[in-house]
Formats: sequence, structure tokens, C-alpha cells
Amino acid sequence: MQNAGGKKSDRYIFSTRGVCPPEIHFELQNGRLQEVRFVGGGCPGNAELVSRLLKGKPVQDVLNQVSGILCRNETSCPDQLSIALTKAIEGSLRPARSFRLHSDTSSYLKIALIGDLNGDGNLLAPLISSIRKKGADAVYYIGNLSDLLLQDPSLIKKIEKEKFRIILGDKDRKYHEGKEVPEKEGLRRIQDAISRFPEVFSFTLGGKPGVAFYGKYLFTIEDFSDFDPFALEMNMVCNLTDLMQDETVFDALKAMIPHFTAQVILFAERKIWRHWRIEGIDIISVGKSGEAEGIAWGMLEAVNGTIYFQTIRENGEPERSA
Amino acid sequence: MAESVKVLPEEIQNLIEVQEWDMRTRIGVQRFRELRAKSLPTVALDGELVYESIIPGQEELIQEIRRRYEKKNPSIS
Repeated sequence: MQNAGGKKSDRYIFSTRGVCPPEIHFELQNGRLQEVRFVGGGCPGNAELVSRLLKGKPVQDVLNQVSGILCRNETSCPDQLSIALTKAIEGSLRPARSFRLHSDTSSYLKIALIGDLNGDGNLLAPLISSIRKKGADAVYYIGNLSDLLLQDPSLIKKIEKEKFRIILGDKDRKYHEGKEVPEKEGLRRIQDAISRFPEVFSFTLGGKPGVAFYGKYLFTIEDFSDFDPFALEMNMVCNLTDLMQDETVFDALKAMIPHFTAQVILFAERKIWRHWRIEGIDIISVGKSGEAEGIAWGMLEAVNGTIYFQTIRENGEPERSA
Repeated sequence: MAESVKVLPEEIQNLIEVQEWDMRTRIGVQRFRELRAKSLPTVALDGELVYESIIPGQEELIQEIRRRYEKKNPSIS
């Protein structure tokens, strides 16, 4: 995980025993406890207080404070944290290898969205030209990067020059894990290139927190936790509503929305362009950018606290929804 | 929702086994979909959806549990 300081920290997930929260998530960096969250149950107020008090402290100091506290079942949340930290130091609890989450700390008003290009890097130039004409604060590409790089490795330079934000797709994960190997040489090169990009990306649009991810493959990542950041949003979009296809469960989705962190949610697996607004939350399916008729991309715009979305096609009329 | 089940009288608690699924988890969503539920909160009895979007009154819930218990155990009623 990349933190604000740019130094690598290790994130751990510990399955508790005998206490209310089923998991403790924490990060260690240079022998210090950077973050700790007791997730999935228990007393959220007390847990938040403990988290704040312990943040940034040397692990040994934390251990001195939390060891041996009893609450129920001859243990407690602090006691479980001491066990978790001890295991992490000893090496019997290894760092979690869940998805890579990057955060964009800038706040934007207009974000251009590019979806699947089917490995056709030739579409990038007309897309960039079309986006420039409309103007956008940032460009997010949510889709498979490895397909593009297999076709033309130099595309990575163009993408970097344009400062695209990349959110990796399902095939990228297969390449990353070595489950899919290109016919030509170049697996290592692709792995190196995509390893710099996230699978989940958080951002702010018009002051609203947002999250972008590709789709269901995220749940297959080892160590994925239901209590990871934005895991609830992913679970609701991907599993509860089957990528927003099952509208019969939207009432259940509405009931879960108050628990969301993100107010703008982008996903791309369904490969259609569509916008839903449910209980004040904007959910956008990012479609294909390479269509039979030409190119297509999405513009997300925040105006006076409202998110507008339009699909822009090179030779077609924009379809706008609010 | 689970609270309304947990506060049932002991005689009723002895007849039932309560399982609660957390909708924030994948297993909770999986169970929700297996039950073909549509909204929350949801109560299923014997794997069958009985209450959706409502929290039943205690008397109503007790009656329904008793009815099902007696149906499965006719010699007792």
C-alpha cells in the first residue's frame, strides 16, 4: 500500500477470537502502527478512539498498553490487537495481499471516463482529442491495460504523458498473477508496467467521495476482506445487484447505502454506459470506448452539488442524464 | 431485526435456532440471494421468506413460530 509519505507500509488483516469485531485491520510502517481498525462489529465509538490514540505509536509502546486487557471470553479487542501485532512482528501473520488502492487527493469538477478499448491502442488518439475539446480535470481509464501494452508497449508513455489515471481490469490481474501468459515474450514487462497501477481508486468529485473499480474479479484476490475500504460498495454493486442488472433488489441496495463511504461509484465490467442515481448516490457503469460506430467516453461533471453524466460519441449526439 | 428475535421468551427460544447474516459480507449477500429476498430487513423461517421490509410484532412472530413447530411436530400439539 502506498501512503501519503510514499514509503511502503504493510497492511495486515487479523481474524479475531472471542471478541465482537471479526477482524482487525492495521498497517505497520518503520516499526510504528500507522492505522488500526476494528471492523465488522463491536463498539464503533470506542474502537475509533483506540485507533486515534494508537496511531503513529511504536509497536512496542502499543504492546505495552494493550496486552492483557480482558473484556469477554478471557480476551478483549486490545488484547486481540496485541496478539495480532505480536504475530506480525514474529512473521507468523503475513501482510495482506488484497487489492491495490490508490487515492487521488485532488478535488475535481469534471472527470472524463474511458472504458474498455479491446486492446485497440489506435483509439487513444481520437479519444484524447475528443476529451480535450470538451475539457476535463482528469481522465480515468477503467479497463485492461495489458491488452494495450501487448499490442504496443510504447503506449505506456502516451498514457503517462496524458496523466491518465489507470484502474486495472480482470485480464490485468491474470497477467499480474501469471495465470495468463502472452504468446510473445513480455510477461515480465507487462507485470512491471501494471504493478504500478491500482485496482481500486478513490477520488473526489465536486466534494463528493468516489470510488472506481472494474468488477467482480476483485473478490478473487487473495486476502480480500469484506471490511476493506470500499468493499461494501463493491459487494453491493457486484454481488447484490449483479452489476446493477437485478433491479428487484434495489430496495435492499437502498437500505445499505447509508453505510457507504463513496457517493460516486464507477465500475466497468458490464461494458455498457449507464447512470443510476439511488438515494443520492451516483452509480455509473463505464462502457466500451471502442464501439462499432466509433469512439465513446463518459463525462462526469459536478454542478452545484449534483453529478451529471453524459456519454459522448464521436459521431453521435450526447446522451445526458442527471 | 435480530434483536426482535433475541428478545423472544425462553420457551420460544428453545424451539428455534437463530442465524443472522451480515449484509455487509459476501456470505450475507449470498444467503440473501439464495432466499430470493428483495429488501431489508428480512426474516426467513425454515429457509422460507416470511417477513420482508417489516419487523413483525412479537406476538405475530411467536404465533408463526408455534404454527410451524406444531406442523412439524403434530404429536406435540
